[in-house]
Amino acid sequence: MALAVFAYISMVLFIGITAYKARKLAQLPLHGRMELYPVPGEKGRHEYGGSYYEEAEWWKKPRELSKGTELKEMLKEMLFIKKLFENQRPLWWLSYALHLGIYFLAAWSVLIIAGAFTELAGLPVKAGAAAGTSLWAVLLYYLGIFTGVVGFALAAFGSGALFLRRVFDGTLKKYTTPQEYFNLLLVFAAVVSGLTVWGSDPTFGNARSVMAHVLSLTSFAAGPLLVLHVILVGVMFIYIPLSKMSHYVGKYFTFHKVLWENEPNVAGSEMEHKVKQALGYRPQNAWSAPHVKAAGAPAPEK
Amino acid sequence: MIDHKDLRPKDLGNPDQQLIKLQELMPLAAPYDKPGMEPDFKEIKDSWKEKYCASLDGFVGIDTLIRPKSKEEEEEFVGKFLNGLEKIFSDANNGVLQPLLLSFEYCAKCNTCSEACHTFAASGKNELYRPIFRSEVLRKIAKKYFTTSGKFFGSLVGADIDVNWETVARLGELAYRCNLCRRCAQTCPLGLDNSILAKEIRKIFSQEMGIAPNPLHEKGSMLQLKTGSSTGITKPAFLDTLEFLEEDIEEKYGRKIKFPLDKKGADILLLHNAGEFMAWPENPIAFAILFEEAGLDWTLSSEMMGYDNVNYGLWYDDTQAKKIALQQMRVAQELGVNRIVIGECGHAHKASAIVADRMAAAEGKIPVESCLPILWDMVRTNRLKLDPGKNNFPVTLHDPCNVVRQMGIVQPQRNILKAICTRFREMTPHGVDNYCCGGGSGFAIMNHCNFSDFRNKVSARMKFKQILGAFQDTMENSEVPKYVCAPCSNCKGTIRDILEYYQASAKFNVHFGGLVELMVNALVSMEKPFLEFLE
Ligand code: SF4
Ligand code: SF4
Repeated sequence: MALAVFAYISMVLFIGITAYKARKLAQLPLHGRMELYPVPGEKGRHEYGGSYYEEAEWWKKPRELSKGTELKEMLKEMLFIKKLFENQRPLWWLSYALHLGIYFLAAWSVLIIAGAFTELAGLPVKAGAAAGTSLWAVLLYYLGIFTGVVGFALAAFGSGALFLRRVFDGTLKKYTTPQEYFNLLLVFAAVVSGLTVWGSDPTFGNARSVMAHVLSLTSFAAGPLLVLHVILVGVMFIYIPLSKMSHYVGKYFTFHKVLWENEPNVAGSEMEHKVKQALGYRPQNAWSAPHVKAAGAPAPEK
Repeated sequence: MIDHKDLRPKDLGNPDQQLIKLQELMPLAAPYDKPGMEPDFKEIKDSWKEKYCASLDGFVGIDTLIRPKSKEEEEEFVGKFLNGLEKIFSDANNGVLQPLLLSFEYCAKCNTCSEACHTFAASGKNELYRPIFRSEVLRKIAKKYFTTSGKFFGSLVGADIDVNWETVARLGELAYRCNLCRRCAQTCPLGLDNSILAKEIRKIFSQEMGIAPNPLHEKGSMLQLKTGSSTGITKPAFLDTLEFLEEDIEEKYGRKIKFPLDKKGADILLLHNAGEFMAWPENPIAFAILFEEAGLDWTLSSEMMGYDNVNYGLWYDDTQAKKIALQQMRVAQELGVNRIVIGECGHAHKASAIVADRMAAAEGKIPVESCLPILWDMVRTNRLKLDPGKNNFPVTLHDPCNVVRQMGIVQPQRNILKAICTRFREMTPHGVDNYCCGGGSGFAIMNHCNFSDFRNKVSARMKFKQILGAFQDTMENSEVPKYVCAPCSNCKGTIRDILEYYQASAKFNVHFGGLVELMVNALVSMEKPFLEFLE
């Protein structure tokens, strides 16, 4: 029971801290423009990195934006880690294994939860051969096996290999702090503990039944390995958003609010409104060099 | 001295006399791949070491960074730096807080960005110039002094650096080994930008400690605010120059052109980098010839701040950048023009169009555009009669980072070159993937002690290699003139220096210049060549 409560708390903290971080980043003041081309929103020009500045009197022409390309580029980054693939292939294999593994494990978790609910509702999740099993339960069963096996394998391989690469690569080593090794080890340990707990039953029936107990808040017998696994995963979930592994939040802002944000400040626009607001702000802190002091406090700029 | 392969960010606090010495640089292309083709680094003088901070890599970039005379001075210096470091994360720095925090917090140390940096590559992959090296030093110092984790866990979270005068001064110098070209940022899987951190270091030095290279500050932005131009040209001197150029145009090209001046209500206010009038007057002359021939309604300004588009503040000091940008805006407003057109100067493009964009409400602000689309329009609509046969020699194009990577102006300049030259060829890579000329962020005008050696041999090395690559077919044939088109004053300055340094003009007939010069050279109405090397 205590274990279930801990699992719930860790999930709530994961979501809560992540949301808090995102909110904090979103609330930061308007910054000076820092776009970097290619900007995917530039319709018809994104491919070669062009922008509306290629037009004389650009402000008189309608801005042609392409939300579709922006979405496509975003998905390429999210699902495929395109920049790493293009610019550092050897590391991409390892990093992508870990990230893809995590995506699979996320899907697996959803399937296990769905399976647990299904079983709680009295429908056994089993292989298709048994008579009387519904298609839904069969799907949950096979997809669970597939996502779980692939997810655990990729995530364990990815986190372990990234850790080793950092240990043995002379350059990476110089920049890696003990904390950063710890980050990778924590993920690796959480995944491997999962493998040892669930690995004996690759159909993940155990996982579903433990999950059913957690969901129904009924007590169940937890062996030391399971306790360790739940604690590791819980700690990981609480720790990730606190650490820089929360780059899933940061990455949204670096692309959408910095590199791809090229909204001009034209009269009557929403941007102008934001600029006016930012210009009205009087900072509490001021720079001390004599030539700055002479002129008073600065307002938004880059 | 540390073997660069063993160099770690925390070594910046190391008491060594000089951390590294550059040795094996990236090889150049033929004919500069043979020994003896390139001058050696100048020996560093003892007097420089005694006076300045030469303990990073043996170069001195900041001529106002003077060694302290007492322990107190030393402590004051470090204290001021730490004050400034704290401020970059405060509301004194609102205009960059979000991008800064992101790049500061999230680096995964994956090292993807290193390969993108021309300086890192040119240095023979010297650890000191790896884009994340200086970022990591800054992180370590900030962690040590301003984070709870750093105070409690120290080296476990990376707060393991000794912070003394040498550390801080070296970091200041190191901020001037990055061209702020942002090429590395294009490759980062997390969208982070190491140039932001380099610039923040420069800002701490200038905005808090009052230390910045003289050519950028005292003789740059301060001079501009005082006289109207970073060249020091005052209004009367500017008027004299124009008069002289008008006579020159008549004498040389037989054309009577009067520079339109302070014309109220003109369509276009053309803003040049005033350095052009001194170093390359053929550039503003060419603009005048083209604008007149195309029948544009345009004017120059002779008002204070109205005849120089530069804004060096961009490279080291936000407060200076803002003062200059706002005054330039005012000139255009008072003239009542429809638009400001920026001449061939890359950083001025970015300063006026991008950086200044959010410095004032849009109401009453005069819109800014680049000269390149207008020039292309002239060609595209056949308003100019051009004969590409007049430009019958190899031409390659340098893409100024500020115009291309940071503003997205890629096609107009290429379209023009394809229309007016017979033997245009691209550099590799080009467009938004281009390499910086090596003079970006102020390097082009920093020549103190041996800094020009660093520029010519290291930061501009990749550009020189690209130029050699583009002309491989005729490089060694000194009969064939070759032209590097660089539509930016700073890039032109850097390219002028490398061509001179490597004697590429003298030995191999390689020339450089802007875009408008080539356009005028192709004008059917021009009786003789506009480009001097064709005479
Ligand atoms: S590519 Fe980005 S995340 Fe990777 S080391 Fe460079 S700045 Fe850091
Ligand atoms: S901004 Fe340019 S010069 Fe600076 S580290 Fe990045 S690639 Fe190198």
